[in-house]
Amino acid sequence: MKSKSRSRKTRGAATALMILIMLALFLFSIVLAVTIGSVKISLYDVYRIILYRISHIHIGDFDWHIQIGDLETLVSGTKFQIVWNVRMPRVLMGAVIGIMLAASGVVMQATVQNPLADPYILGISSGASLGATFSIMIGASAVFTGVLADTGTAFWAFLGALAATALVYLLANLGGRMTSAKLVLAGSVIGSLCSSFTNMMIYIGNDAENMKSVTYWLLGSMVSARWDKLALPAVCMLAGSIFFLTQVRNLNTMLLGDEAAITLGVNLNFYRRIYMVVCALMTAVAVCTCGIVGFVGLMIPHIVRAFTGSDHRRLLPCAMLAGGTFLIWADVVARVIIDNTEVPIGVITSAIGAPIFVYMMVRKSYGFGGGAS
Amino acid sequence: MKLETKSLSVKLDKKEIVHQATLQVEDGAFVGLIGPNGSGKTTLLKSIYRVLKPSGGVAMLDGQDIRAMSHKESAQAMGVVSQFTNLNFDFSVEDIVLMGRSPHKGAFDRDTAADYQIVEDCLRRVDMLEFRDRSFLTLSGGEKQRILLARALAQQVKILVLDEPTNHLDIKYQIQIMEAVKATGVGVLAALHDLNLTLMYCTYLYVLKDGNVVAHGTPEEIITEELIREVYEVDCQVMRHEASGRMYVVYLSRSRNKK
Repeated sequence: MKSKSRSRKTRGAATALMILIMLALFLFSIVLAVTIGSVKISLYDVYRIILYRISHIHIGDFDWHIQIGDLETLVSGTKFQIVWNVRMPRVLMGAVIGIMLAASGVVMQATVQNPLADPYILGISSGASLGATFSIMIGASAVFTGVLADTGTAFWAFLGALAATALVYLLANLGGRMTSAKLVLAGSVIGSLCSSFTNMMIYIGNDAENMKSVTYWLLGSMVSARWDKLALPAVCMLAGSIFFLTQVRNLNTMLLGDEAAITLGVNLNFYRRIYMVVCALMTAVAVCTCGIVGFVGLMIPHIVRAFTGSDHRRLLPCAMLAGGTFLIWADVVARVIIDNTEVPIGVITSAIGAPIFVYMMVRKSYGFGGGAS
Repeated sequence: MKLETKSLSVKLDKKEIVHQATLQVEDGAFVGLIGPNGSGKTTLLKSIYRVLKPSGGVAMLDGQDIRAMSHKESAQAMGVVSQFTNLNFDFSVEDIVLMGRSPHKGAFDRDTAADYQIVEDCLRRVDMLEFRDRSFLTLSGGEKQRILLARALAQQVKILVLDEPTNHLDIKYQIQIMEAVKATGVGVLAALHDLNLTLMYCTYLYVLKDGNVVAHGTPEEIITEELIREVYEVDCQVMRHEASGRMYVVYLSRSRNKK
C-alpha cells in the first residue's frame, strides 16, 4: 500500500496525458478512416483532395489553397465526390454522433447512479424513434412549411425524445420521491410503450418505401451523412459537450448518491432535470440523424471507466473521444465488411460491443458497481 | 453557528414520523439525539439536511430557514454523515474526501494544493491517511464510515449532523470518531445508539419516542433508570464510575416483551 499519495500535479498531468492520447487517437482515426472505403482511392489522392479543400481560403480577391496535382480532379469527378462529399462527412458524422452518445451515457449513468443506464434505457431514443416513425409514416413533416419542413423528422424525433423523457420523469415521480431505481424502471416501461406504438405504425402504415426508411432508422446508419446534415448534430454536440464538461464536479458528486449529492451542495432535482433534458436533446439529434446506434452510450463509458476511474474530469472527456473514435471505426466496418452493401451501424456496434462488454465483465478488476471488486 | 428546529413535523406516506420537534444546537454544543429504533431520529435529521421535506415547522441555521438557502450555502455551513451510503461506482478514498470541498467550488474552479492539504489533514484526523489511494469500495463498513466523516470534515462546516456515526465501528474507532468530531469545536447534532457514548461526549440530549421529543436536558439529567425503562423498555442501573467520576449505564435484562 502506498502511503504517499500521487501529488496533485502528477494527477493533473496523468489526466492531461490520458486526454491527449485519446485526442490523438481520435484525430488519427478521422485521418485514417477517410482513406478506407469500398472504392479504392490512393492515399495520395485522398489527402490532396482534402488538403485542397481545407486549405482553401477565399476572402474577396484573395484566393489561396494548397494544390497538388491536377486541379480538375481536386474539385470534381468521382474521387472528389467520394472523398469529399461521401467519406468526409460520414467520418465526421460518426465522430459527432459517437461523442454525443458517449457523453449522454456517462451523464445518464451519473444522473441516475445506475451503471446500467444509457440514453436508450431511459426511453429517450425509443421516444425519438416513435416521433421519427410518426413523421415518416404519417407524414407530419408535410404540416410544416419553410424552415421546419427541412427539420421535420429531426423535429419530431426531438419532440418524441422530450415527451418520453417527460413521461419517464413524471412516472418516476409518482407516489412520492423520485429514486433512481424508479427512474430506470420508468424508462424501460416508456421505452417499450414507445416501441409498441412505433411497431404499430410500421405495421398499419404498410408502405414499402416508408418502411425501408423507418427500418434504416431503427437500425442506425451513417449513410445519409452529408455536409448540410452535419451542422445540427455538430452544433448540439459542441454545445452539449461544453456544457457537460463544466458539470464534472456535480456529476462526481451525484455519483455518490442522492443524499450525498444534496449534503454536498448539489440541488439534485434541479440538475437532474437539466441533465436529462440536455441528454434528451443530444440523443434525439443523434437518433434523428443516424437512427438508433446501440451500445455506444452504455459500453463506452464502462470501458473508459475501467481505465480512468469514475472521476468525471477524466472519464467524460476520454469517454467522449473514445465514443467518437469507436463510431468512426464501426462505420468503416459497416462500409467495407460486405462488398457493395451497407451494414447498419447499430449491428456493428452491438456485434463488436457485446464481446468487449463480456470481457470487461469477466475482468475482476472492474466491478461495474455491484460493489464486488 | 446555531442550528434549531421549530415544531418540525415530517410525514412519510401520509404517516407522521416526526411530530413538532423543537430542538436547538448552540454553537459548539455536542447535542445527542437518542431514542429507540423507529423513533424518528433519522427522519428528523433528514428533514434538517434537506433530503426530506418537512410537512410543518422549520429548520434554521442562525435564524435563517435552511430551505430558503441555496444547496451550496447550506452545504458550506452544515456537513452530514448519514447512515448508509450505497456507492455504485468506484472512487479512491482521496477522491471521496476531496468531494467534501465541492460546496466551496464553482464550476470552473480547480482543486488547489490547499484543498489537498485539507483532505490530507482530515484523513489524518480519522486515522485513514494511509488508505488514501485505496478504492472506496474495498473498504470495510467502519473504514467507509470514517472516510465519510473525513469528507464532512473537509467541508469545513459550522455544524455537523451525524446519523449514528459510530455504527459499524469497533470501540477504538467509536471513541476516535467522537473525539475527532468533538475536536472540531463546531456544533454537533448526532443521533446515537450507545448511551455510554452519549454520557461521555454529549453536552445536551434530546430524547425521541414515537416521533415526539419526550425529554431534553443534560445527559446526567436525562439518562436515568426511569427514562430508559420508559423509552427503551429496558431495565438498567445508572452508576458513577469512581475513578473518572463519569456516569455509565449497566443494562440488567433483555428487552421486556410488551404485553
